[in-house]
Amino acid sequence: MNPELFLQLDRVIHEKGRLAIMSALAGTPELSFTELRDTLEMTDGNLTTHIRILQEEGFISVAKSYQNNRSLTTCSLTKAGRKAFTGYIDLLEQIVRQNKP
Amino acid sequence: MNPNWAEENLQTIRTLMERSAVYRRALAPTLIFCGVIGLLSGAFGVWLQCDDALVAIAIWLPAAIVSVAGAFFLMRRQAIKDSEPVWSAPTRRVMAALFPPFFVGGFVSTLFVIVSCARCRCGDNQFLAPLAVILFFSYGCGLHSASQFMPRIIRSMGWQFIVAGCFLSLCLFHDDLRDKSFHLLMGGVFGGLHLAYGIYLYFTEKKNPIA
Repeated sequence: MNPELFLQLDRVIHEKGRLAIMSALAGTPELSFTELRDTLEMTDGNLTTHIRILQEEGFISVAKSYQNNRSLTTCSLTKAGRKAFTGYIDLLEQIVRQNKP
Repeated sequence: MNPNWAEENLQTIRTLMERSAVYRRALAPTLIFCGVIGLLSGAFGVWLQCDDALVAIAIWLPAAIVSVAGAFFLMRRQAIKDSEPVWSAPTRRVMAALFPPFFVGGFVSTLFVIVSCARCRCGDNQFLAPLAVILFFSYGCGLHSASQFMPRIIRSMGWQFIVAGCFLSLCLFHDDLRDKSFHLLMGGVFGGLHLAYGIYLYFTEKKNPIA
């Protein structure tokens, strides 16, 4: 087994919660905070923390707007985020291939 | 370290991507539309006061076709609006998950209707309550299976249909309940549940987008 591949995995994306957020956002143009929370069954605080980290890394963009006089927060993958996510998936696939007998 | 973790991670990622991509914003209007069609069909059947198999087909087959066509139209409109492909990989997976239970339900229902038409006179409804049970079970199992790729509330809806099927199965042993109108059962359970879940989704999706 080549340990190099493990070391190349993006540590920000590799965390379970953040990987789930990236995966959910990769499948759709954008998701509201509520949709993400319900899909991933995360608490508001946990989700907010992970979103902030991903946003600081430039992997997701967060837009705030108003709908029916209520604030609406939507998240989407940035170009850099999509590239990082694709790279992460590629590495996982390489690891899977490496582990196949 | 478990050597399969990477494969499991990939599977989880695939599931999450598919779950988020299925047209969740079109679900509420689709469920409400199907609920209204179900309730109207049930009300029409009750109004006719004729519980034989041919009348049941004449009412519920068009109702099913209209519901599927309406659902397809609403999903397609949402997909175009969101610039997503209409016949995407997640949609195919949902259809593949729905197909086996729906096929079994349709096949057994057709057998029931054929036997019912061959053996019963008009007005004899002894086959219709078991038919409703089969439809509830197959529909519930289909929804539960498809919920792997859809919002989790669909799983709960699938269970509601399965529970309704179990309850109705028990009622089959009770003469008074067994003779209740097929249309009342179908309208109440199919129409009622779709409408209730549709309204719930509509209000929770519109009212709780707050971070």
